[in-house]
Amino acid sequence: MEEKVLEILEEYCEEALDYTGENMMEEGVIDSFTVINIVSELEDVFDIEIDAKYVVAENFRNKEAIMELVRRLVEEA
Amino acid sequence: MQFLSSGFVILWVISFALYYLLPAKRQWMVLAAASVLFYVIGTGGIPVGLLFTGAGAYLCGIYLQQSLAAQGLALSECADKEQKKTVKQGFERRRKRVQILYFVCSLGILLFTKYVTVMPLGVSFYTLTAIGYVVDVGREQCKAQKNFLKLLLFLAYFPAVTQGPFNRFAKLDGEFERPHVFSYERMFFGVQRFVWGAFKKLVIADRINLFVGNVFGGETAPGSIYAAAVVLYMLQLYADFSGYMDMALGVSETFDIMLPENFKRPYFSKSVAEFWRRWHITLGTWFKDYVMFSFVMSGAGRKIGKNAKKRWPKMGKHVTGIVGTMLVWLLTGAWHGRTVSYLLWGLYYGVIMCVSLVLEPQYGKWKQKLPIKEGKIYALFCMARTWVIVFLADVLIRSESLAQAGAVYRSLLLDFRMAEGIFTVTDYGLSLYGFLLLFAACLLWLAVSILEERGKDVRRALASCPMPLRWGCYYGVTLFLLVTGIYGGSYDTAAFLYQSF
Repeated sequence: MEEKVLEILEEYCEEALDYTGENMMEEGVIDSFTVINIVSELEDVFDIEIDAKYVVAENFRNKEAIMELVRRLVEEA
Repeated sequence: MQFLSSGFVILWVISFALYYLLPAKRQWMVLAAASVLFYVIGTGGIPVGLLFTGAGAYLCGIYLQQSLAAQGLALSECADKEQKKTVKQGFERRRKRVQILYFVCSLGILLFTKYVTVMPLGVSFYTLTAIGYVVDVGREQCKAQKNFLKLLLFLAYFPAVTQGPFNRFAKLDGEFERPHVFSYERMFFGVQRFVWGAFKKLVIADRINLFVGNVFGGETAPGSIYAAAVVLYMLQLYADFSGYMDMALGVSETFDIMLPENFKRPYFSKSVAEFWRRWHITLGTWFKDYVMFSFVMSGAGRKIGKNAKKRWPKMGKHVTGIVGTMLVWLLTGAWHGRTVSYLLWGLYYGVIMCVSLVLEPQYGKWKQKLPIKEGKIYALFCMARTWVIVFLADVLIRSESLAQAGAVYRSLLLDFRMAEGIFTVTDYGLSLYGFLLLFAACLLWLAVSILEERGKDVRRALASCPMPLRWGCYYGVTLFLLVTGIYGGSYDTAAFLYQSF
């Protein structure tokens, strides 16, 4: 699962792979347009539905947080 | 009631004294009373719109909270996943209906007051703030407030109610709830920030207005004069709005309530997207969280996305993002003003954002092929490119009409008359002395901004300077403000540009 998430991030936002901070969205590493593309791709690849309530800065603060979100939603599905 | 009025200062001082005299549990009451007074004096009557919007948000929040609790209980009694899914969908559908009803009612009031009657004080701000609260409760990002007065305080907190910043309930309610102890340093920093905001407003923004108002209020001018006026208008808007924010955040800081920053030196941005991440930050995040993501992740948004991907396998993935971005920008335009110019302004930024975001990977490839070195000169070029884009947009919103905007663009392109512009620049309400003062004030502002951009905390750095230097700076700025600020009975110093949005 992690590899797939990293592949998606590499395709849409390579900077996210090297980012080590705690707020990618606020620091402009990842913009809302890219978030939408990533969410859409994650939904297709993992067959999950990511509700708007999950698309918050906290869940997209870095690549680990995105992986954690996907893991949680896959388990819930 | 305006920030730059004796009435406001009296309200501030009295509520400040009472706030720190009362026990921690009752401190919020002082802020609530001050906010009601500020609002009632400001509107000159009972704030019907605010009470209606607040009551709606209150009831909606309570209902959503109860529905979520009932859903949890019902889910725990379900036997399998399918049943859980059906039960959950039923609850979600009912919650969505209630939320939509609330949005339609509160936005209806906003649109009615904006387009049909006179806009009550802060209606755009408290309406969007209330909608954000209702969405957040529904998304379980905060608990519903059970005390109506506390919710009203959140919606109409007096430093923020007229122009923002937009607050999130989870954050601001936490600030109201925690105990606040008097601190001399905090009080001093708060007052200092207020004075700095007043400096930007009275010395820079209002001085620029003398020139810009005459240029756009008069007959056709040479392109060079329009160019100067639009560049100065860009500064005026920034000084005016960020000055207001400094005052709002400064007042709130004296009460030990930290409001979110709304500006991060936007004119240092290297792209338009970055500019809008640094300008009116809280409005941008409001539209992103509550409009863009809500739309994209809705049934309609998903359907558009899936169809687009099927039809255009390569570019289809961008379609929902493009539709969401255009929606946000058209709404941002409509929120800012009632004329077609504002819709065109929104459309202009929407198109620029979409094109730049879709083509971003391509730019990277072009940059690698061209002999471009990333350094200070390239950074300056990128900043200048951003200024030009903002410049062209600001012509639209500063012009008195669409026809005038057309005339300004025409003059800029076909009738520049540089020499005539230089010799007649002082004919438009601002003397040479006024321009020199403006230049000096802007230079001071630029120096502070550069230091902040380099990560320096200017206020703390100043506080740690030797006393003569420190107080020299404080007195210097205050004297500059008192002596050179634009005052006078015939001039309305208190009207902030963003207040009309």
